[in-house]
Parts: sequence; structure tokens; C-alpha cells
Amino acid sequence: MKAKSTLGIVFFPAFDWAIHPLHPEREERLLYTLDQLNEEGVFDIEGIMQYKPDIASHDDIMRTHFCFPDVAKVTTESHLISAGGTIKAATLVMDKIVNKSFALVRPPGHHAMKVVHGARGFCNINIEAVMVEYIREHYNVKKIAIVDTDCHHGDGTQDIYWHDRDVMYISMHQDGRTLYPGTGAIHELGGPNALGTTINIPLPPNTSDEGFLMAMERVVVPILKDFKPDLIINSAGQDNHYSDPITNMNFSALGYAKLTEMLNADIAVLEGGYSIQGALPYVNLGITLAMAGLDYLYVHEPDYSQKDLTQDKEITKYIKRVCDQVMKRYEECKKPSFKLMPGNYDVRKKEIYYDTDNIREMQLESIMVCEECRGVLKIETTSTVNPLSLGIEIPLDACDRCQKEGYRLLDNALSGDRYKYVQLIDRRNKKYVLY
Amino acid sequence: MYLGLDVGGTHTDAVIIHRSGIVAHTKVATTHHNLLECINQAFKNVLTGIDPSLIKRVNLSTTLTTNAIIENKCEEVGVLVSGGPGINPLHYSIGSQYYTIGGQIDHRGTEITLLNLKQLEKAIKKCRKKGIKVFAVISKFSTRNPVHEQYIQQKLDDADFISVGHTLSGNLNFPRRIATAYYNAAVWRLYNKFSHAIEESLRELGAIAPVNILKADGGTIPLHVSRTVPVESILSGPAASVIGTMALCNITEDAVMLDIGGTSCDIALFADGAPLIEKDGIRLNTHNTLVRSLKTKSIGIGGDSAIKVEGGTVTAGPQRLGMSMAEGGHNPTIIDALNVIGTINFKDTERSREGMYALEKKSGISSQDIAQQAITYALDIIYNEVMAMIDEVNARPVYTIHEFLKGKVLKPKTIYLIGGPAKTLAHHITQRFGWNVKVPQYAEVANAIGAAVARTTVDIELFADTQRGRLLVPNLNVNIRIPQHYDVDNAIEDATNYMMQYLESIGVDEKEREIEILQVYSFNMVEGFETTGKNIRVHCQVKPGILHQCRDILKI
Ligand SMILES: [Zn+2]
Ligand SMILES: [Zn+2]
Ligand SMILES: [Zn+2]
Repeated sequence: MKAKSTLGIVFFPAFDWAIHPLHPEREERLLYTLDQLNEEGVFDIEGIMQYKPDIASHDDIMRTHFCFPDVAKVTTESHLISAGGTIKAATLVMDKIVNKSFALVRPPGHHAMKVVHGARGFCNINIEAVMVEYIREHYNVKKIAIVDTDCHHGDGTQDIYWHDRDVMYISMHQDGRTLYPGTGAIHELGGPNALGTTINIPLPPNTSDEGFLMAMERVVVPILKDFKPDLIINSAGQDNHYSDPITNMNFSALGYAKLTEMLNADIAVLEGGYSIQGALPYVNLGITLAMAGLDYLYVHEPDYSQKDLTQDKEITKYIKRVCDQVMKRYEECKKPSFKLMPGNYDVRKKEIYYDTDNIREMQLESIMVCEECRGVLKIETTSTVNPLSLGIEIPLDACDRCQKEGYRLLDNALSGDRYKYVQLIDRRNKKYVLY
Repeated sequence: MYLGLDVGGTHTDAVIIHRSGIVAHTKVATTHHNLLECINQAFKNVLTGIDPSLIKRVNLSTTLTTNAIIENKCEEVGVLVSGGPGINPLHYSIGSQYYTIGGQIDHRGTEITLLNLKQLEKAIKKCRKKGIKVFAVISKFSTRNPVHEQYIQQKLDDADFISVGHTLSGNLNFPRRIATAYYNAAVWRLYNKFSHAIEESLRELGAIAPVNILKADGGTIPLHVSRTVPVESILSGPAASVIGTMALCNITEDAVMLDIGGTSCDIALFADGAPLIEKDGIRLNTHNTLVRSLKTKSIGIGGDSAIKVEGGTVTAGPQRLGMSMAEGGHNPTIIDALNVIGTINFKDTERSREGMYALEKKSGISSQDIAQQAITYALDIIYNEVMAMIDEVNARPVYTIHEFLKGKVLKPKTIYLIGGPAKTLAHHITQRFGWNVKVPQYAEVANAIGAAVARTTVDIELFADTQRGRLLVPNLNVNIRIPQHYDVDNAIEDATNYMMQYLESIGVDEKEREIEILQVYSFNMVEGFETTGKNIRVHCQVKPGILHQCRDILKI
């Protein structure tokens, strides 16, 4: 057997790390996946190669996140290796060593936001975002699409790219009214400088293969065609599976494989998925085969029954309506509508709860409205573990005005004693400093 | 006294090792049409003047099974495969009688679907009709639950031999298990005839010592044990060289071994003096197997590699078009190139010059330049392959944070050079690598020495699942009940005991039973938010190396 498209797999199951021995995100999580892939002889298939992860540096994290009080306090080695795994997956593709790559790493990351005070939704740092920023710093890639197929809304990834018009973030997930973290409604479309580059497709509980593939066909594929990304990344969460213990969807391994084929992502990164025996081994096998362009039709779960997983007609109708609405909103974002005056700040007030670490955070996020660049970003944050602190980001493509404004904000912050910690992300000069 | 014999591609070497060192060695041409002939000749030569009854042990490394497989001189095998969902098992079809049977066992060893008896009956009937007498029986995840393989095995009561997947290796890898079981059955009859003949010959010569067969992992198994696992004898040649190098040189550091022969160059790696083992198993004839082996790589560059000049570029190998011109061949080789530039003075140097001059006339490049470029080309290939192999080892995946952070990086700076042209090439190799190059005494028969001094190796994988209450050691056919409170310490103890018992049963000397635990994992299995049991894996081995007694003899 030979892969039609060469595939690099960065497999890092972290067999010696867990949040807690009984936590769903534990040592055992990728054990059966490894057993299945080994028994199927996947790593012997010509064109499928296995690689060791890299370890992400503190700079790699600080390029992406504001970590308070610092990176060392909010991460462990396992987080740095997991993020390093995504970096490895990225370099494999960017250096053209393989056509595609799949980072099968843990712990996951898509609930980690721009500011990090601790862990939320099992995530400390956003491993996809760390990868994306690594790619943008080291390779000449402008437009990137992240398609999040985890059952939970990827609120962390959405938060990080809310103001970024060069990153299209599309999430399909179980409707936030029925599942953690509760966000990801259709009207969440991105900040003033990046409207329409955040897309949410909230699907009703009990959505089956038919519904997921419909959302792919009617929303994801056309939007990607329109956006024309240079790179497609799949946040490949596997908790939509019918056997997942913490969600309510009816997706199958075969469905995941078909979705993977349709999406045709360059890089996939494992996110959630907690049916570690009944789903992960089969879903990961399906995704792997689909990415490599191999026959996956023979892959199914031991208890798979198509009849039991047939989608209710009402649900199909409902999903059709969701798809239509999402596309309508997306088209509306392109119209020149009311826009704020350039040079002004658009301000959001956010309250964030870190469920895993039981931390509460208050944020005041300001973005400079700018027509030339993504705009300078300023976040004032205070939490139950950290006093008032500040993050300033000068974006990669910063115009001179935003660059100047960034340093003005920094000077102001450093001359007073308002903030306990101040972090600067200066993407233009590749400077990441914590004061 | 220990007798070692290694059948190579070109030569068959034999040595006798005694307290006083190497007391006899011989080299005869390999007779490919009838291996017994050259083996008997080598036995006779090396035993000249020695009382054969003093030989305590005969170790043999042979290409018999390898050649049979490569040359497709195998017996037809009925391959019966129970796959279940996943990758379609038809992709792994091997031989002309390959049958897939419905049924499924999952990764925990739970039987999800029963064997499809109708399909099984039909397949067996077809095989019988074709007169098939040897079978390979393989099911997916049989190392977690062998019930399907055992059931099919029972149904084949009139077969001459049945090769059963889980008894060959405890490792997971269904396609490799299929190929391994197939080859094992395919060479079974041939191998057994051969081993019988070897025993006869030795008896005729008056040697009554036990005979062992060298395996690709550098260890031996008693001949009588190898009769049911003949596949274990494939590709043991490079392993003989590795063990021989260990015996001749006291290797303690990261190092590279190069065994340069007439046709090929074998590369092996050492980490802190220990030879590296291939994680999964050896590859033969485009099929990966579960046959454990040392990590070696064979490349088509040797002293007799033919030199070619095409469009102004000079290359050498990978084919061998006979001997060097100096030895009476018809194509200039690397040996001839060495003659031309004056590194060596081997046999008829004038003919080497003539051959190179013929190439000069055709290409317009001077003889000296062609010779120089051919050597450079060969050295570059060796260098690049060695570097690629080291990189590959250093990039090897790890699965725990501990392994990741403590990960050893291989940084060899020493080369142990053995084989026929070793001495003459040492200077060039030193220059190309810039490393320390060592050529031991007896470098030209290092492989036979390796065969003589290799000790018995075994590796087992113990798998315990306390929720299901089962413990398996697949390749020792252990499948027993365990209590709920069974833990990782019990598992390590059991693995060691099973190994000990096995070593004893096959007659391994007490002193040689050095068991090493390679890997221990224990996972809590959780359902809901409750621990339901433990999933424990222990991998242990008797590591490849040199017999205790021989260490004293060789003073290492
Ligand atoms: Zn999602
Ligand atoms: Zn999730
Ligand atoms: Zn700007």
C-alpha cells in the first residue's frame, strides 16, 4: 500500500501526564489509538511517516499569548511538547518533507484564549494558534483557515483570531445552548477589522454524518473557496462521536473520514475526544487514511449501526436553515456597512471563567480600528490569581501608526504603576517581552 | 571449544574459538546451488587436526531461508486471515492461497464478532483440494486474544505444519504478522530438511555438540527450537558481523560498524556500546515482518562494485559484475580503483590499470581521475547512508515526557571497520568521516566469530488487563486468569519468571539468563469517573551479546 499524499504523523500520547488520574484527558487517552494504528500497520504504509515532536520555546508561546504572571507559571513540559508537536507538524509541511501532517498530541488547546491565567476546558495554551503564529513568523504565508470540527466551540481560537482578517476561523460544534462553553452563535462574526473571518455553525444535538457533511458542503467548502487560504488547518476534535461520554452528537468514524477528505486540510491537530476506547482508535484511523488518500471505507466501530445513526428529518431541516443563515450573514459581512472611524478604539468587556483551574478573569479589550493593518491590540486583565496586568500586541502587518501607538501604550504603562505585569508582543520586530 | 559458521553471499567462514583464542579459521566459496556442500567443506577445514568431540557448541548463521524467500522457492501456503474492520485485509494478500474470514477482536481482546465458520470451511476445503499441507493462521489483535487463531488451528488437524500468528511475536502489527506467519510456513519444510542434514553431517564428523541457529537480532536459538520458527533464521548475516565486532573490540561508546564485503556494505549502530535493535522487525522482499533484528542497513557498495562512467560522471555499484580485473574479472571495480591510485597492491595491478584505461578512452577522463572519483563516490554513499541512519534513530518517536526530556542523542565518532577490504579502506574512511577508525585483528572473519560467541536471546511482551482478568504472553502461549488487584510489580515478576522458565526449557545455561526489562507501562482504565482496572504492558528481553565463557576467552 502506498499513500497518494504523503503524511507525517507527530504522535505524542504523553503516557506519563494527566490533569488527574480520573480526568477524561488522562494518560490512557491515546493508548488504544496507538494500539489500533500499530496493529493496522499504519506506520508501515509507504508515504506515512512518524515523527517526534519538538518542544515549543517560551518565545513560541509569548508570540501568541499573554501569559500572566509568565509562561512558566501557566504551562508544564507536557504543554510545551504538545505545542511543539504542532510546530513539528507545521514544519514538516512547510519544508515540503510531506504533503500533509497530523499532530496526534495531547493535551489539547482550543479553549485557551489570548490571555492565559490558567487552564480552561482542559487547555492551557492554544496549540493551533502557537503553530499558526510559528508558521507566519518563519514562512511566507498570509492567509490561513482553521476549521474546528471539535464538538465544543473553539472559543479560545475564536478569541485569538477575532481581530485577524487573515485567519478564517470556522467552527462547527454542538449548539452552545446545550454544551460547554456556551459560545459560538451564528452572529459571532469577528471584530471590526476582521468581520466575516469568524464563522460559527452551531449544530443541534443528535446531528449525524448527514448533518456534518451537509454543513461541510453548504458552508465550509464554499467559504474556503471564497477566502482562498494558503493553508488549511483542521482542529480535529473527535468528541462529535456517537459514543463520546461528554457530548450528544451522532457522528461516526466513517463520517469523520469523509469530512476529512472533503476538507482536504494541510495540517490536522487533534483536539478533544474522550471516547478513548470506542471512538478514538477508529476515528484516528479514518482521518489518517483519508489524509493519506487511502481507502477508508472498511473502517468502522465495533458497535457501528447505520440504522441507529440515521438523522431525524426535523434535524436535517433545522441544519439546512442554520447553513442558509450562516451563508447569509457571511455575505452581509462583505457589504460596506457602518464602520467605526479609523484611529479609534473599539472596546469589549469580557468575563472569563477557567473551569479546570477555577479562576475568574475580567478583561477590557481594545482594538485600534485601522484600514491599513489588523490594528494594535490592548488587553487589560485582572483575575482571582493575578492583579491588573496589561497585554499589548503590535500585529505582524502593523502600519507605522499602529506600531507607534503600541510603543506609546507601552511607555505609558511602564511609567505608571497601574499594572503588575505588562507583556508586549511586537510582531513587526519579533520582540516578545514581559515587564 | 566453540565453533561458529557464517554462510555469506560470497564466502562461507568458519572459526573455532578456544581458551587460547582463535585456534582455526577457514574461508570457502559459498555454493549457492547446494549450501550443505560449502558448509560441510568449512566444517571439515576448520576441524582439521582438532578433536571434534571437544566442540562444546556449534553456532550457525545461514542464508538458506533468506535465499529461498528471495528466490521464491517457497512451498505453497494456505493463508487464513480473520481481519475485521479497519484496513481491508485484502491489501495484505500474500501467496496464491490467501483467504479472509469474517470475525472481529478489538484492541482490548474482546471478541466482537464470531468467526464466520462457513467462510472458514470453504477456504479450508479449497486449500485441501489444491493439496496444501502447510498453513499460516492470523487474526487481527490475536496477541490480545488468540481465540480465532486457535480455533482455526484446531480445524486444520491434518496439516503438516501450522504457523500461528500470535506465537511468533507479542508485538502488534497485523500486516507484519501475516507476512511473518506466511514466510514461516513457506520455508518450514525446506528448513527442516536442511537442519536434519546439518545434524547428520556433524555427527559423521564426530561432533556431538548442541547446534544453535543465529537470528537477525544477534542471538541464537537451539536448532530443535528453530524447527517451528524457521523464519527466525532470516537475514542473520549482518547480525553475525555486529556480534563479531563486539567480540573483537571492546565497544563502550556510541559507534558505527561498517562491514565492507565484495558486493555490499553493512552498517550497524551502537549506543554506549550496545547494538541498536530495530523496533518492529526486519523487512524482506518488500514485506515487513515481526522478526526481531539488530538495526542494520545493507547498501550496494563493496570492493567488487563495478565502476561506470556515464556522461562525464563516475559511479560505482550497486551491481556486481564479477570479480575485480586484478583477480581476472572483466569490469573495473573499486578494488581496481584502489590499485590504480596506489592505495593497495592487489594481485594483477597491470590489469586494473588496463581496465581503467579502457574507461579513459571511452570517456576522455583520465584513469587516475576515474579511479579517484569512483572511490569518492563510494565513500560519499557510505557516509550519507550512515548519517541518514543516525538521523533516523535520533528522530525516533517517543511516547512519554520522560523519554522526550531524557532522550539520548546518538553521536558516534568511532567506526569499527571489518570485512575483506577493511584494512585497505581504513585510510579513506578516516579521511571521509574525520572520525576514529579501528580495524580489529581477524576483521575478515569477524562474522564467523560473531556466530560462534553469540548467546541465546528471547524477547517477550507481557500484557495484563485486570478488568478482563487476563494475562497474556503471546509468543510463549501464556494465557491465564489474573485477580483484580494484580499490579505492575506482579507483572514484572511474572514476565521475568516466564522468561526464566522458557530459557531453562530450551537449555540455556543459568549464567546466560540475563533478563532486561525494556519497557513498563501501566494505565488506569477509567469508565465514567471510576477506575475499572489496569492495563499493564511489560516488554523484556535477554539482550543480544556475547556468551559469558567467550568473554573470558576473548578477554573483554
Ligand atoms: Zn468546534
Ligand atoms: Zn471538545
Ligand atoms: Zn494599523
